Amino acid sequence: MGAQVGTAQVGTAGVGTTEAGPPPVRSARAVWRRVVADRPAVFGMVFAGLAVLVALAAPLLTMLEGQDPVTFHPELVDSARGGVPLGSFGGVSADHWLGVEPQTGRDLFARTVYGARISLLVAVGAAVVQVGLGVLLGLAAGLGGRWLDNALGRLTDLVIAFPSLIFSVALLAIVPDSFPRPLLLMLIMGMFGWGGTARIVRGQVLSLRSRDHVAAARLAGATPTRVAFREILPGVVAPVLSYAAILLPSNMISEAGLSFLGVGVRPPTPSWGQMLSKATTWFRGDPLYVLVPATLLFLTVLSFSLLADGLRTALDPRATGVARRAE
Amino acid sequence: MKRKLVLLSVAAVAGSLSVACGGGGATASGAFDPATCQGGTLTVLNQRDQTHLDPARLYTSGGGNIPSLLFRTLTTRTRAGGQEGTKVAPDLATNTGEPSDDAKTWTYHLRDGLKFDDGSPITAQDVKYGIERSFSPELPGGAPYLRDWLVGAADYKGVYAQPEGIAAIETPDERTIVFRLRKPQGDFPYLATATQFSPVPKAKDTGTNYENKPVSSGPYRIEKYEKNKDLLLVRNEHWSRSVDPNRLGCPDRIEIHSGLNAAVINQRIAGGAGADANAVTTDTQLGPDELARLDGDPELAKRVAKGNFPYTWYLSFNTTKAPFDNPKVRQAFTHAVNRQAVVNAAGGSSLAYPATTFLPEQESMGFRKYDFYPAGATGDPEKAKQLLAEAGFPNGVEVTLAHSTHSGEGDGPEVAAALQDAYKRAGITVRLQGIDSASYSTTIANPATQPQIAISGWGADWPSGGPFLTPVFDGRQILASGGNFNLAHHDDPAINAEIDEITRITDPKQAAKRWGELDEKLGQKALVVTLFHGKDAALTGKNVKNAFVSDWTGKYDLTALSVK
Repeated sequence: MGAQVGTAQVGTAGVGTTEAGPPPVRSARAVWRRVVADRPAVFGMVFAGLAVLVALAAPLLTMLEGQDPVTFHPELVDSARGGVPLGSFGGVSADHWLGVEPQTGRDLFARTVYGARISLLVAVGAAVVQVGLGVLLGLAAGLGGRWLDNALGRLTDLVIAFPSLIFSVALLAIVPDSFPRPLLLMLIMGMFGWGGTARIVRGQVLSLRSRDHVAAARLAGATPTRVAFREILPGVVAPVLSYAAILLPSNMISEAGLSFLGVGVRPPTPSWGQMLSKATTWFRGDPLYVLVPATLLFLTVLSFSLLADGLRTALDPRATGVARRAE
Repeated sequence: MKRKLVLLSVAAVAGSLSVACGGGGATASGAFDPATCQGGTLTVLNQRDQTHLDPARLYTSGGGNIPSLLFRTLTTRTRAGGQEGTKVAPDLATNTGEPSDDAKTWTYHLRDGLKFDDGSPITAQDVKYGIERSFSPELPGGAPYLRDWLVGAADYKGVYAQPEGIAAIETPDERTIVFRLRKPQGDFPYLATATQFSPVPKAKDTGTNYENKPVSSGPYRIEKYEKNKDLLLVRNEHWSRSVDPNRLGCPDRIEIHSGLNAAVINQRIAGGAGADANAVTTDTQLGPDELARLDGDPELAKRVAKGNFPYTWYLSFNTTKAPFDNPKVRQAFTHAVNRQAVVNAAGGSSLAYPATTFLPEQESMGFRKYDFYPAGATGDPEKAKQLLAEAGFPNGVEVTLAHSTHSGEGDGPEVAAALQDAYKRAGITVRLQGIDSASYSTTIANPATQPQIAISGWGADWPSGGPFLTPVFDGRQILASGGNFNLAHHDDPAINAEIDEITRITDPKQAAKRWGELDEKLGQKALVVTLFHGKDAALTGKNVKNAFVSDWTGKYDLTALSVK
């Protein structure tokens, strides 16, 4: 979660607006053209799309394989050697495409695709909470009076500077098990991750609120709510969108970190972070067990980061380099 | 209380919760000759330090591993591999004790020429003083049995509050000590191996500070001690093999380093660089990484000391409450258990073996094979479903299973997940309730907070059926206010009477047979689901010799190891 603090600052610097220029709005087609011209972004888009697809189709894929993520297969591991999977490459076979988990013999492919569900679900859910809170509080700070702006400004500082990892671990440890874990993870990560979005939105609002079209709407008698949502909000969509794309991989890392520390989703529900955590003691005995979740986590986070970067560049009116290359 | 203490004792003595060895095979890497084994420095790499270095505060089984280097006791465990090592041997005394008055009086005579590390002679009065010290509320932690066993000792407050001592411990002369007990206790020689039976010179007693510089009666004395870090031992010049037939005392120095990580310990001993070639550990099992390597690395495989420390892991339920008041439900849970998956979850067949009996498979415990509600290797869900239907649960049951959150332990989340999977096949829905390992045992031992089902472990303080079965199944041991280990809340007057009867027997062999028969009777009642018995496997350094493992401790014996 510490990573969010870092990305928040990068994001602020990268998508911050200048006093002068018009609101950075481009047509969706132009943005798409710029993104597809950016090769790393295309790779990111394809792989991230694939990951989402796999996660959505997890029950279908495991049905195809004929396995499920929770059934034990004690006959597939070598009990005398501490439970290492029998056979080469961690027990890879026609029945078990990625082999089986040491000790339990649970199917690794099934656990991996179901793990993708948790990892992505929590990352997206947390991003929704983060962006939702960030936009609301950013709007309020930018449009409210000086007093409200100051108060929210300090609150944002507090949230960004907060040692959220330690607090999350403590919080996750005391909430009863009956509360759904993925939802809890989303809420906790959302609660600590809205600071960056709020700052970007506030900055954008400050520059937008003195624009002519906003003044015109005010003079025409529009209510403050209407001004906020109809005149100002569209102007903050682009920077928020590219920032949200940065939040996704950062959230995935956070979920993996919390699951690694044993406070994430509860067994037998698989998640990539949890798989990694269990795999650490097996790195010599069964390397594939470590490599599968580690590689997937790495590639997925990288993909989302590349996609986010491409999106940011495409949406930023000052970054013309990519556009020129495209032409 | 006792269970917790048992666990502490293992930590203090062998330093391992995870239990010891079955075969008792020797793993010496070369010719070992006790006559020429002296010299060198033995290194001990451990995760945990001793809880205390005061003999009154150490809760040991058989005198402990590290404590036995410093403290001699009236009796001790026989230093030999396998079942031979489960026998009691005389230590300070000339024999294992002379019973009289229906095993209610036990008399010991001390050997000639016994000396402390300052050269002063060891007397029967020093042994009496050491035992009475352990009753002091300032020095808690030792084995609790004597308070219950000795006549008139229940309210004794220790040597500082009541210097007159305990009348039931008599010392008619400097070499004789007599114990008078309330009830017959055939197991007294086993208890006399506990570290609280070691001598303490009254003149050197500094109360709670004594553990900073305890007087040694064993082959080594303390050169330097830094808590949770280093304990450096050198030879005690006033000790010799002529007055101690049990300990060899081969190395000139023993350096004990604690506070290390289990994986680090295993890697260092396996690697064997520099001083690590002379290293051993008394509290760390082989990890999965080492187990997986053993097949392809015969040199490493040769350095694994395997054994069995008598320890049983089982599923406990309160049989006075629904649905477990119904024997059919308990039988169904026994039929449905998948012991192969459970053993794998506990580290595989090198570290555990499936248990259908409460007593571990050891002769000295009185092991008697039975399996009344067979589950086979992987469970019999159909039979379980049928029994549940007969019990009035045709659609299965839903229960909450408590386990410790400590990963890798016998009561940890891995074993719980294996049970959850097995029971699902029998139509039993298991919700898992992880409880922090620090409070786990106190939570399940308190009837007010005892969960519906819990994974429980039990180790004995000495290798006999008594301390194994009595606290867990004797109806008079149910404690309503906590510290209760009769988790089944089982109270059968016939069983209680039988326990009293066996306790009188002073011949270990005869008693063992009776404990085995009692275990079988209890097994028929399906009061618990036995899961597995622990095994022990620990590495020794490349130069370490004479690493035999007894069935009492499950560990190699530090007083026998040589690095020369």
